[in-house]
Amino acid sequence: MTPARLDITQPETWPNRRVEDWRWTDVARVLREAPPPSPQASVEPGGPFAGLGGDELAVVNGRAPADARIIADGPGQVARLRFVSATDGTGHQARIIIEVKPGADLLLLESQEGAAAGYVANHILDIDVGAGGRLTRIVLAADAADALAFTRADVTMGGHAAFAQTVLTTGAKLQRIETRVSHPGKGASVRLDGLYLLSGERHADATSEVDHTGLDGQTSQLTKGVVRERGRGVFQGRIIVREGADGTDARMGHHALILGDRGEVDAKPELEIYADDVACAHGNTVGALDEMALFYLRSRGVPEAEARALLTEAFLGEALDRIEREDVREVCRAWLAERLSSPPPSSGAERGRGTTRRVVEGAAQSAAPDLAPSTASRSPSPAGGGGEER
Amino acid sequence: MAATQKTVDTVKELERYKHGFTTQVEQEFSPVGLDEGTVRFISAKKGEPEWMLEWRLAAFQRWLAMDEPTWAKVDYVPADYQALHYYAAPKTREGPKSLDEVDPEILETYKKLGIPLREQEVLAGVQGAPKYAVDAVFDSVSVVTTFREELAKAGVIFCSFSEAVREHPELVRKYLGSVVPVSDNYFAALNSAVFSDGSFVYVPPGVRCPMELSTYFRINAENTGQFERTLIIADKGAYVSYLEGCTAPMRDENQLHAAVVELIALDDAEIKYSTVQNWYPGDPETGKGGIYNFVTKRADCRGDRSKVSWTQVETGSAVTWKYPSCLLKGEGSVGEFYSIAITNGRQQADTGTKMVHLGANTRSRIISKGVSAGRSSNTYRGLVSAHPKATGARNFTQCDSLLIGKSCAAHTVPYVEARNGSAQFEHEATTTRLSEDQLFYARQRGLSAEEATALLVNGFVREVLQELPMEFAVEAQKLVAISLEGSVG
Repeated sequence: MTPARLDITQPETWPNRRVEDWRWTDVARVLREAPPPSPQASVEPGGPFAGLGGDELAVVNGRAPADARIIADGPGQVARLRFVSATDGTGHQARIIIEVKPGADLLLLESQEGAAAGYVANHILDIDVGAGGRLTRIVLAADAADALAFTRADVTMGGHAAFAQTVLTTGAKLQRIETRVSHPGKGASVRLDGLYLLSGERHADATSEVDHTGLDGQTSQLTKGVVRERGRGVFQGRIIVREGADGTDARMGHHALILGDRGEVDAKPELEIYADDVACAHGNTVGALDEMALFYLRSRGVPEAEARALLTEAFLGEALDRIEREDVREVCRAWLAERLSSPPPSSGAERGRGTTRRVVEGAAQSAAPDLAPSTASRSPSPAGGGGEER
Repeated sequence: MAATQKTVDTVKELERYKHGFTTQVEQEFSPVGLDEGTVRFISAKKGEPEWMLEWRLAAFQRWLAMDEPTWAKVDYVPADYQALHYYAAPKTREGPKSLDEVDPEILETYKKLGIPLREQEVLAGVQGAPKYAVDAVFDSVSVVTTFREELAKAGVIFCSFSEAVREHPELVRKYLGSVVPVSDNYFAALNSAVFSDGSFVYVPPGVRCPMELSTYFRINAENTGQFERTLIIADKGAYVSYLEGCTAPMRDENQLHAAVVELIALDDAEIKYSTVQNWYPGDPETGKGGIYNFVTKRADCRGDRSKVSWTQVETGSAVTWKYPSCLLKGEGSVGEFYSIAITNGRQQADTGTKMVHLGANTRSRIISKGVSAGRSSNTYRGLVSAHPKATGARNFTQCDSLLIGKSCAAHTVPYVEARNGSAQFEHEATTTRLSEDQLFYARQRGLSAEEATALLVNGFVREVLQELPMEFAVEAQKLVAISLEGSVG
C-alpha cells in the first residue's frame, strides 16, 4: 500500500501532522497556497560530482529533457542527476525514471542544488533495479534555508538485486527525503544510509520503508545526525517483513547528537513483522557528545572547539565509511567537512541570486502553466516538458 | 516432523481457559444502552453527591463528541455501545458489613480463582508468607475489601471508589481526573461518564504501606461493560505496592473493559503497580468472544525524586489497547515500565508506554518483552519524549519480540522526541524466533519440545518477571507457560 504522492499544485495532497507518516513534517502548516510555477531556466554543466565523470542529467526548475530517463544496461555505468532549484519563491516538480537492467550496474550521483531562496521543490524518482542489477545512489542535498524540498524515491528490486544509498543533507525550512523500497524477488540486498547536519532552524526528515516480500532479503540501515542551534532532525524508518519472507535479516540504526540547547530530534524506527524465520533489530540513540571522549582529547592538548569538531566529524563520518568507492567517499567527506567548518547561512537568499534574476527574466511567462494539471496534453518544449506531472 | 505433529495436537487440546466459568448470582442491571439517563442511574445507584454527577455528565458530553481511535494495529468490530449494560451488581443488602453477608456464590467464585477474601486464609498459608489486602470488584461493584483495620492503623486508606466518594470527597475531588483528564481519549471519557467502582488508595506522608494492596477484577454478567476507576495517591515520602488481577468467563460475544487508573506520587514517594491481566482471550480458532481491554493508565510523578514503576503481564483479552504511562514532572523523578505481553490464538495486543520527561534530571527505563504465537498480533508502541526543560533526562528502552509460528505478527513502533541537547535516549529492539540451537540443546538434554519452549520463553521474559512482587511472580510464571501451551513450532 503505497501512500499517495505529494503534489505541490494540489493542496489536498499536502499532509498535515495528523497524517501519521507526516506527524513531524507538517507540510500543510508551512505551505499555505500553491506556489507560482517556476519558469524555465538553465545551468552550466557541473555540480558537486562533476569530477567523477558520467553523463549529466540536469533537471532545472523541474524541467528535464523530454526523454529524461536514466537507463543502465551494462556494468560500471555512472550517471549524474542534478536537481537545481533556480528561481526565488516559485515551485516546481519533476518525475524521473531510472532503470537498471538485469545484471547491469549503475552509480547514480544525485545532487539537490538550491540556487535560489524560498522555492518549493518536489522530486520523484521511480527506480527499477532488475534481477542481479546493482544500483548505488549517493545524494548530496544542499537546499536553501527557507526552501521546502521533498524528494521521494520508490524503488522496486528484482531477485538478487542490490541497492545501496547514502544521503547527505543540511536540511531546509522543511525538507523530506523519502525512500520506499520493495523487493518481491529473492535474495535482494539493501543498504540505506544517511546523515544530516542541521543548523539554524533547518529541518530534515529522513523517511524510509523497506518492504520485504521475497525470501532471504537483507537490509542494513545506518543514519547519523547532528543538530545544532534550533535545527530539527526527523528519522522514520519502517522495516516490513511479509508473511513468507523467511530468512530476512534487517538491521536499522539511527543515532543523533543534539549540540544546541533548542535542537530537536524525533525518531520512529518501526519493525512490522509477519514471518517468524527472521532476525530484525533496530537501535536508536539521541544524546550529546561524549564528555569522556572530549575530556580525553583535551587532556591530549586538543583545544575544546577542535575536539568537538573532530568528534562530530568522526560521528557523522561513520555513515560515509560504508560507501564502497573511494573517490565517491572522498567527495562526500569533503562536502561534509566544508559544511562542518562553516555552517550554511541561515537564509539562502544570498546564494545564487545573481544567476536567478537573469533566468527569471529570460524565461518570462512561457513556462508558467507548467504545473497546471493539464500538463500531460501539452506538447513538450525543447528544454522542458519532462515529466513534471506526477 | 514428529515435533510438528505434536504441536498440532497440543494446539488442539490447548486453550482451556481456566477462569472461564460463570457465577450464578442474582444481579441487578442498568437498562441496556447509554444516554444521560444511564449516567444519572449509575450515579443515583451509588448515592453520589451532586458534584460527582455533574462531573460524569460533563464527561458524557465530551464522549459524545469524540471518535473511537483507529491508529492502533488492531482490527476488531467496535463494541455496540448501545447494546451494553453499564451497571451490573450482585443483589445484596445495603453494603455488606462482613463476609458472611456476601453472597456465597461470589465467595465461591473468588475461592475458585484462588483469591483470599478471608483474612485468616491469607495467614493460613506458609508461615511468614507476606500478607496482602484485597479489594474484590465483581462486575460493577466492589464486594469486599480486606485488612482494612490493619491498614487504617497505619493511616492508609484502602477502600472501594464509591466509598471514597462518600467518605473522603476532599481527596477524590482534588485528584480525580488530574492525571487522566475526562477528555483525554475516547475510552477515558466513556469511563469517566459511567465508571461504577474501583479502588481508592491514599498513603499518608512518610508511611510505608505495611502490606501489598491488590484489586481483583471479575467480569461475570453477560453483555456488560466493566468500567472501573482506580486512584492511588502516595503522599510525600510514602511507599505502596499495588497488584491488579483480572479474569472473565468464556462468552461468545465480546465484553468491554474500559478502565482508568490514575497514580499520583508526591515528593520522594514511590508507587509500584503490577498487573497480571488474564481476561478471557476469545476462542483461539475462530477468534469469537473475548474481552476488549481498552485501558488508560497513567502516573503523575508530581513530586521531586518520586518514582513510579509499572509492571504488567498481559496474557489475556481478545484485543488489548493499553499504554501505562508516566508524566515525569518532579525533578529527578523516575518512571519504569516492565512488560510481558503474550498473544496466542487470534489475540491482538497493541501495548506499550509513554515516558514524558518534563522535569530536570528525570530518568526512565522501559523493558518490554513481546511473545506472539498462533495467529496473533503483538505490537509494542511507546513514546519517550523530553521537554526543553527536561535537562539531563535519560531513558533506556529495550523491546524484544519473540515469534513462535508462521502466522503470527510482531511489531515495534517506538516514538522518540528529544527536545533538548542534554537528554540522553537509548533504544534497542530485536525481533527473532526461538533459537533452533537453544531448542536443540534443551531437547538433547531430555526436555520435550514443549518444556524446552517454556524454559526458553521464561528465560526471555525473566528480566520482567523478577520485577513482580513475589506472590505474583509465581502466578505469572505459570501463566506464561499456560498461555503458550501448544504453540511450539
